Amino acid sequence: MAGLRIEHLYKRYENDGKKKKNAAKNDYAVKDLNLVAEQGEFIALLGPSGCGKTTTLRMTAGLEDITKGEIYIGDTLVNNLHPKDRHIGLAFEDYAMYPPLTVYDNIAFNLKAKGVDKAEIDKRVREIAPLMQCDDLLDKMPVKLSGGQKQRVNIARAIIRRPELLLMDEPLSHLDGKARQAMRTEIKRLINEIKCTTIYVTHDQLEAMSLADKIAIINFGVLQQYGTPAEVYDDPVNEFVASFIGEPPMNILETTIMGEGDHFFFTFADSNLKIEVPKRYYNVVSNGFKCKMGVRPMDVLIGAADSKGTPEEVATFENLGDERRIGIHVGSFLLMLITDDEKRYKAGDIIKLEVRGEKTHLFDLETGNRIREK
Amino acid sequence: MARIQLENVTKKFGKVTALDGISLDIKDKEFFVLFGPAGAGKTTILNCIAGIQLPEEGVVKFDGEIVNLVDAAHRDTAMVFENYALYPQMTVYDNMASPLRSKLYKKDEDYIKNKIHEVAAMMKMENLLERLPSQLSNGQKQRVAMGRALVRSPRVYLMDEPLAHLDAKLRNAMRTELKEIQANFGTTSIYVTHDFMEAMSLGDRIAIINEGKVVQLGTGDAIYYMPCNEFVAQLMGDPEINLISGTLAKSGDSCTFTMDAGGKVYDLPKEKDLFAKLDELGASKVDLGMRPQNLTYSFEPKEGYIKCTVYSYESIGNKSVIVAELSGLQLRMIAPNGLKVKIDQDVYVDMQLDHAMFFDAETKNYLTRYNEAAIKAFAEKQEG
Repeated sequence: MAGLRIEHLYKRYENDGKKKKNAAKNDYAVKDLNLVAEQGEFIALLGPSGCGKTTTLRMTAGLEDITKGEIYIGDTLVNNLHPKDRHIGLAFEDYAMYPPLTVYDNIAFNLKAKGVDKAEIDKRVREIAPLMQCDDLLDKMPVKLSGGQKQRVNIARAIIRRPELLLMDEPLSHLDGKARQAMRTEIKRLINEIKCTTIYVTHDQLEAMSLADKIAIINFGVLQQYGTPAEVYDDPVNEFVASFIGEPPMNILETTIMGEGDHFFFTFADSNLKIEVPKRYYNVVSNGFKCKMGVRPMDVLIGAADSKGTPEEVATFENLGDERRIGIHVGSFLLMLITDDEKRYKAGDIIKLEVRGEKTHLFDLETGNRIREK
Repeated sequence: MARIQLENVTKKFGKVTALDGISLDIKDKEFFVLFGPAGAGKTTILNCIAGIQLPEEGVVKFDGEIVNLVDAAHRDTAMVFENYALYPQMTVYDNMASPLRSKLYKKDEDYIKNKIHEVAAMMKMENLLERLPSQLSNGQKQRVAMGRALVRSPRVYLMDEPLAHLDAKLRNAMRTELKEIQANFGTTSIYVTHDFMEAMSLGDRIAIINEGKVVQLGTGDAIYYMPCNEFVAQLMGDPEINLISGTLAKSGDSCTFTMDAGGKVYDLPKEKDLFAKLDELGASKVDLGMRPQNLTYSFEPKEGYIKCTVYSYESIGNKSVIVAELSGLQLRMIAPNGLKVKIDQDVYVDMQLDHAMFFDAETKNYLTRYNEAAIKAFAEKQEG
């Protein structure tokens, strides 16, 4: 088993105008990407479609040429190594199983091709199968399997070679709601068990948040932030990361800072909402300063009757059973808040709105970068 | 404007019975949700109302008038489909205008223009009117499909999983938007979905459909708090409700619950009505229904808590789920994000029993729950 090191990685698709219509000719699909995965770590590459995450994975696997930069698996530079010599296991969205072979033979296929002896193959298949809960499936044909079962077999096939690096590309995206959730848990337990360094590509922030030790968030081929789920959730480096991570997304609104006596307040166009600026930002804001303010729906609260919060009208009230979501118009923006409060509101009700000042983030209007307190 | 009634509607496809004696009474101006798993028969009900499919038995009534023999075009319904079904060669404006240019519902162009702009403003899509469908994102296409239905003033809107094709984030945002403009509909609407959050958020009332039958009918709150069986309880809520099997025993004026897994004995909090009801029903082997938010955990041993191990700890967005394992039983509970939790470490779990529901272990049907009278009264008030 080994770690992964990616250094100054670039990828440009040459003479490929037809396929990549949207990418301007000189655009890099991956641009100066640096990433280190320690041995045994579970890394998610997360971003919207077309951001370069799959391209990065394919370069690591050796399925795609590297334009510039270096990829090391363990201490070995693998740029020019054939995929089969990279000691990797692959599990993609499509299961690509051999339909005429049983599940057993599908799992065993790679070892057979390598000429591993029969007894050893059998031992390993029987070892892996219970891990992926496919021991009952071994005699079945792929057509008889459900989507979730196919993906289980697919992953079993990827790990039977005892790879140094496991690469997965959206392995759950074909599954529906509950099967997906169950499979997610199984993957997590599996990786915990076999302790294999894993790179996992997904566009679903929830999958990344729940599975990964560290998340690399990529947009337009550029790494935005690389950190633990808690870091990217609580301490996003820019507006893109802040709005991409979390569901419902962070409320991010344009604001003008207003000074009043020795206090500062966030104010908003076409709204009487006023939120006190936390003291820690006093070094970076001034009267009339314009920026964006971000706050998560969990950090917007309904104040008690005697609260100092601004009275606001409920625009939407959604009772979702486990929780309730309330939308409030701030100018043209619909500010969302989530509450466990059992009270039922309706559109038009007035509530006192409070915001956890210490949980607010500031973003630059132009660049979207975080403005940090000094 | 219409009251829609189905009386004993049965629909068969060859040997398969898709609808098995469905009876529904949907009030005028109601936003009515048909909710159930894939293949339950929800869309078939919608098609029978639209007149796309004819039931073998039973009648469909619009305002008390039987419409079985009225063809689809003359029933005056407007449909929104999951796959948008936009005309690719037409601009958004022309797509939206198309129902008002049809022979049957023809309006003059001035009227059409006003109506489209009114709906476009409501749906925040005025800037899209000149575009072709190929230039729209999925969310925008969805909006156009919805807008095309809303320009008409039909007797009933029929919506078949209109948000199902969108990714989770967009679906949630669109659901909230739909909720906001819903009040402006003023027209009976029937909405099919397999997403419980859509059902809860949008429906004035919800009909749970399974295997061609109406399993339960009521407001979201009534169904969430008093599901008629374990199947419904599991449908409503994510993460799923915990069903914990065990045995009830009564002695004097107290009652105990012995959990099958681990064998711990719980003294049930006293509630006279509840104990009387359990007695009356002769409940013994039961499944306790506990919502994940009604379980509490501790990573240190604590009085009354049972020792389990962590099966998984996963974020579900703004919060996380800890799944704890106890002799093969998995218990789901809500926890904040960002805890330092290791798989297979110890965790101690307790239940807020005064939120418990009771199901018959044999039939899986609902027996009773804590606070039943108050919840019933609340639900009745909601139905008004």
